Amino acid sequence: MKLVLPPRVGPKAFDAALTAFAGVVGKEWVMAGDADRDAYSDIYAPGPADQWPASAAVAPGSVEEVQAIVRLANQHTIPLWPVSRGKNLGYGTAAPRMAGSVVLDLGRMNRIIDIDARLATCVLEPGVSFFDLYEAVQREKLPLWLSVPGNAWGSVLGNAFEHGIGYTPYGLHARNLCGFEVVLPDGDLVRTGMGAMSGNHAWHLHPMSFGPTFDLAFTQSSLGVVTRAGLWMQPAPAASLELVFDIPNEDDIGWVIDTIAPLKIAGTIDQNVFVPSWLGKMVLKGQRHDFWDKPGAIPEWRVKELLAQYKLGYWQVALRLYGEEPVIRAKADVVRAAMARHLSAPPAEHWWHAGDPMNAMDTTMGVPSAAPLQMSDWVGGRGAHMGFSPVVPATAEHVMGQLKRSRAIIAAHDVDFYASFTIGGRFATNINMLMYDRDKPDQVANMKRLFSALIGETAKAGYGEYRTHLGWMDTVMDTYDFNNHALRRLNEKIKDALDPNGILAPGKQGVWPSAMRDQAKAGRV
Amino acid sequence: MKHSIARWALGAALLAPAAQVLADPPPLPPYQMRAPAPAGNRLSPGRDGKALFENHCGYCHLAAGMGTNLLVKQRLAAGAGPATALLANRDDLTAAYVHAVVRMGKGAMPPQTRVDATDSELDSVAAYLGRGK
Repeated sequence: MKLVLPPRVGPKAFDAALTAFAGVVGKEWVMAGDADRDAYSDIYAPGPADQWPASAAVAPGSVEEVQAIVRLANQHTIPLWPVSRGKNLGYGTAAPRMAGSVVLDLGRMNRIIDIDARLATCVLEPGVSFFDLYEAVQREKLPLWLSVPGNAWGSVLGNAFEHGIGYTPYGLHARNLCGFEVVLPDGDLVRTGMGAMSGNHAWHLHPMSFGPTFDLAFTQSSLGVVTRAGLWMQPAPAASLELVFDIPNEDDIGWVIDTIAPLKIAGTIDQNVFVPSWLGKMVLKGQRHDFWDKPGAIPEWRVKELLAQYKLGYWQVALRLYGEEPVIRAKADVVRAAMARHLSAPPAEHWWHAGDPMNAMDTTMGVPSAAPLQMSDWVGGRGAHMGFSPVVPATAEHVMGQLKRSRAIIAAHDVDFYASFTIGGRFATNINMLMYDRDKPDQVANMKRLFSALIGETAKAGYGEYRTHLGWMDTVMDTYDFNNHALRRLNEKIKDALDPNGILAPGKQGVWPSAMRDQAKAGRV
Repeated sequence: MKHSIARWALGAALLAPAAQVLADPPPLPPYQMRAPAPAGNRLSPGRDGKALFENHCGYCHLAAGMGTNLLVKQRLAAGAGPATALLANRDDLTAAYVHAVVRMGKGAMPPQTRVDATDSELDSVAAYLGRGK
């Protein structure tokens, strides 16, 4: 990766900054070689990774070191791009939004500070991976479950900070956060919630502050570096039942949503229900060229053949109930009856009881795995993918509208359609997985056009994305346009007040500090 | 444990010849715990390579991991046994090759940072995986 220095920082000044950083963390934890810059680039970048180049990375090992680095960054005007473990795959990996930023890699800060099995909470540093936490719970045989995302390689806190989702009753990960410790852009240290009182016992239990509650203002945010946070966990249930419904037709998603969402809102179903389209199953059976060997999207007639051949529905609902067995049985009766109003085939049913084994990939039971990333092998190559992820109300009309709109745009760009709706209650998160070969410029160019078209058309219809790749952060922020982009203007006012030098994550989520705003055009797809 | 993992890899492989289509995937094995990170300074040489491999590479390279699953296909296409999709079962790796793949990436595997695995840790892992040579 070519070396791009931070804005207005010359080679000598840059070198002086890195030397100062090394004085804090040790020279081994300042990583500024060619291979280091490659390793912090976006492996799945749409196009060349050097659109979002880091100049170096620095890895502090403690809160005090984070504070010292942040203070030095102000003195040397070096922009920092904090990452927890840097595994934000599909959204930019560890790469910074602004060229020349130094990645502040918190991966060394991986202490599990506390796990409280009685109140089902834990306190973590940002470097703790889902695997680390899962294994700590298993080793101690604690009656706790995790909620994991599709890619569990990454950080528990990092995923929650980016508003990631999972497929258990605790699937809205940012909602599980409770009580932060944060290094502010000037190096000051603050604790949110009840933790604002020295020695308070309810820091990670009561989710609000005395006065305004700032916790979520530090998620998808450039206002601070979170160095620890509390996280609520799911008490391990006595039993669980999975009900698997194959849903035959594309348009059935309407009644599926109208059936499941009310049960979720009412609490009969407490899980985030994941409803993937057929390609979610096909990616486990082979690669694209095994089923269709031409470059464009797999045509409708071939999709119908494949669904018949492999006995797949267009959608699949693998719904899971958790708790005491008699309660699950009663809930299952309600769910079966509701689904039977539209679907004659009964579900496949799989019981689990405490003590039974769990398989290595059961995301609905909180078992961490990176294997769902295998879908990125569908087109081969380096496994590049991006998620287009708008949020829609969980009703048939909104979901169908979104489905038809994105389906038509994706078809017009001749790309395979792979969508899922995750029913979070009153809303559904629609993730359209777009897979491409990074080494084929035509595919990359087409994917960029497609992505921009999806954002634009979806916003016109009244829906926004919950998260996006570096290259579209500004574009998506632009879609939140009420009152002349009042939300962005508020973000910028706060940003400038807390971070006058603009050294912390400039450009994150389309929020630019005035000190770096001249850089906003670059790196925007 | 190793036996059951090898059997699983074999089962997956029999159903997954390259250029052919998988039937339903075989039942997945249970989650395999990684070894805890061995004690000691991450920058010091000589820590346990096997434990470091499991702890740092086990996210993808133990049974049913993302890397193992993709390697089943690659190993079969190369005419090798599916159990060799588990890197710990390989006898043809060299330390230099392990270094190159970890730092430069391979296929869908991203290059690993020096926070993911320090140079000393990588030396230990490479010596462990390259022990057949």
